[in-house]
Amino acid sequence: MRRTMLYLPGNNPNMLTRGYLFGSDGLILDLEDAVAVSEKDTARILVRDILRRGEFGSCEVTVRINGVDTDLWRDDLAAIIPCKIDGIRAPKIESPQTVRDLDEELSRIEAASGIEVGHTKIFCLLETAFGVWNAYDIAKSSPRVAAIIPGGEDLAADLRTNRSAEGTELEWVRRMLIIAARAAGVDALDTVFPRVADDDGLRREVEFIKSLGYDGKSVIHPNQIPIIHDVYTPTEKEVETAKKIIQAAKDAAERGLGAVSVDGRMVDVPVVKRAEFTLVRAGVLPEQEKGR
Amino acid sequence: MNEPATTHVAQAGTLESMDCLVSITGAGARAIEISGSSAARFKGAIEKKIGEVLDTLSAKPVKVTVQDNGAIDVVLGARVEAAYRRFERGPSA
Repeated sequence: MRRTMLYLPGNNPNMLTRGYLFGSDGLILDLEDAVAVSEKDTARILVRDILRRGEFGSCEVTVRINGVDTDLWRDDLAAIIPCKIDGIRAPKIESPQTVRDLDEELSRIEAASGIEVGHTKIFCLLETAFGVWNAYDIAKSSPRVAAIIPGGEDLAADLRTNRSAEGTELEWVRRMLIIAARAAGVDALDTVFPRVADDDGLRREVEFIKSLGYDGKSVIHPNQIPIIHDVYTPTEKEVETAKKIIQAAKDAAERGLGAVSVDGRMVDVPVVKRAEFTLVRAGVLPEQEKGR
Repeated sequence: MNEPATTHVAQAGTLESMDCLVSITGAGARAIEISGSSAARFKGAIEKKIGEVLDTLSAKPVKVTVQDNGAIDVVLGARVEAAYRRFERGPSA
């Protein structure tokens, strides 16, 4: 599950060593915006050593590297990829070619480090209008792509607007990216919610992205994690209904029947699929490896 | 005058909680100076870690000054390596 992926500033030992204790599904050790230009070298060494130490609980571990438009990203990859992380979060992806360039460099380092080529996933941040426009092609450009993620502040700037409380400026982008992600078979993860003290606003935004189909959200403050998990966790009633649906489908299959009815509603394959997904989110069923 | 070629000071780290500020400058022989919250209790372990990192880097003789604010081993090592690499790059680093 990728309900919550918590950003940890790459030059902050306190957060880097203890961030996993806040209970997010994933971590993003950040070498990009959270690190001052003058500290890129020290952060890279610190993040590398924290990765080597490897104490992250059950979190999916990713690193946000510096953009491919800088002279820093190759050094970032050279330092962190040999540590066998789950993935990189790549900023300002605008075209499939950028992903292929990353793919090539990742393959080279993985092979040299004795890591299975293809192990490291790519989480693509689409932070420009051009990147958003190319979302599907980007998502399909490499089997490494695990998710596409709309940018927040950078995208608002590129769209010549500002972040609003209602998220109007990102609404169409979010709708577009969920379609692109599902069509390409990758996850859709949402951008951060910047107003860390606005719990009600965060809850409204998470309810909205969940209703669109998003798999989760990037997180900039640990206090945001329980709110997001709460929205994504099915209610007891939803879990009970899902269990009934799966049992009914199993019984029907054993009796050679096609569709059956549960509580007056027809149960067919998509309904069963949704019920299974509900139980995965509730932690009742184990998460299956995505068929990619 | 036989002025040492490397008299500049290179630093890495901060004085924030769980971090340390490491300063490195040229010296005739390796020297380590530690101050801060855990200096008395963990002096031996800190010196050992610094020595290991410098050995791994095949470091030339330097004086290392650590102002510690509760950095764990892995953080100390990273800060020493970063400071030494900056020292090696010269005064503009």
